[in-house]
Amino acid sequence: MGNEWLVKAPLTINWALNNSCNFACRHCYSRVETGEELDGDTLRGCFDKVAKMGVMAVNFGGGEPLLRADLLEMASHAASLKLRVSMNSNGYLLDRAKAGELKQAGFAAVGISLDSHDAAVHDRFRGVEGSHARALAALGFLKEAGIRTSLSTVICTINLDSLDEIIALARQYGVSRLNLHNFKCAGHGLANKDELDLSPAQWQAFYRRAMAAKDKCADLELSFDDPVIASLGLPTESSLVKGSVCGKLSLAIKANGDITPCGFIPVVIGNIVRDDLGEVWRNAPLLTKMRHKEPHGKCGTCDHYSDCLGGCSARALALTGDINNPDPHCWVEP
Amino acid sequence: MQGIHRNPDVLWREEDEQRDQAQTALEQGGDAGDIATSLLFKDGVMLSLNILGTEIWKLCDGRTSEEIVAELLSCFEVDEDALRTDVTGFLNELKEKGFIHYGE
Repeated sequence: MGNEWLVKAPLTINWALNNSCNFACRHCYSRVETGEELDGDTLRGCFDKVAKMGVMAVNFGGGEPLLRADLLEMASHAASLKLRVSMNSNGYLLDRAKAGELKQAGFAAVGISLDSHDAAVHDRFRGVEGSHARALAALGFLKEAGIRTSLSTVICTINLDSLDEIIALARQYGVSRLNLHNFKCAGHGLANKDELDLSPAQWQAFYRRAMAAKDKCADLELSFDDPVIASLGLPTESSLVKGSVCGKLSLAIKANGDITPCGFIPVVIGNIVRDDLGEVWRNAPLLTKMRHKEPHGKCGTCDHYSDCLGGCSARALALTGDINNPDPHCWVEP
Repeated sequence: MQGIHRNPDVLWREEDEQRDQAQTALEQGGDAGDIATSLLFKDGVMLSLNILGTEIWKLCDGRTSEEIVAELLSCFEVDEDALRTDVTGFLNELKEKGFIHYGE
């Protein structure tokens, strides 16, 4: 499947249920959100709408989803529609009882964020003492409850050199997947970019090490979401979608119902309450542009362009103002 | 012979527009092999299946591979030996990727 085939609906929607959070992470994309949160009845109607369209999975985020009082009811309703329900959480509020309730509500998977194997570094970065210990404890409770777990780490300067230790921790706690997210320049991530983001050469070196580690991880899936990896030129299985999957296989919805191509592109293309999602999915001009990117600058002569399609559109937009410009993380010299 | 079961963790759906295109192509005597009519998704791995692959996938409900071949022969005008080879190869690929399992 290339860019020319438009699937009938997103496979997954990354859905911010709320804006509130008990943490103050220095890379968070969503602390600038101030919109109203949809009430439960409205949200249920929205889940009905997306399920009817053919969406297969919803991944709750926020804010911290566990701060939403009706989270379990919302999850239960989504699961009853045969949507696969998962969420990303900091794990701080997740004890044994809550894990059991999440299982009962129909959660298939929960991802816990971890920024470092070092508790002091993680706690300082997230602004909450004890958060590292509780994140790890949450993994144990979720596993006991029979919910699949993953660890999510946003790669930045505080953990660049800790890959082996983070992999060891993921193994120790029996997670099924370690998500190594690229650093996005959105929200606090944009404000703290100079301190936290890596240079293109550092990204290249990191991904070389990470891809080598992936080859040695038979018992743990290492997952990446960075299309710029294609610029390493490593042999990979053919991918159904080139470049970023945002706007091609997935969408994001904010707590107030606003639809964006991904959580890191702050451009509203519709609203799930008032608009026809199918119409937005098929015809939103920004989505069309993302599905038909054009090589600008050094991408015009790059051999990797057909695989990476310019890299992460969110980063290009945030730092250059145009999704067609080369991803600023790209290390390829023109 | 053991029955074949879809992995319940696999998310999948048919793509209506592409399925209609493939059916039209087949009705007109054309080739629909390159038209992806369904998507399967598991643990970050996504497969797109053409109409024959989709029908095989939908028949992985506890039937044996011979039962799947027999069912497909009643729907598609194809050579039986070639179909059996295709079905076996396709099921092996799905098993290798963890999308199906064999069992009672």
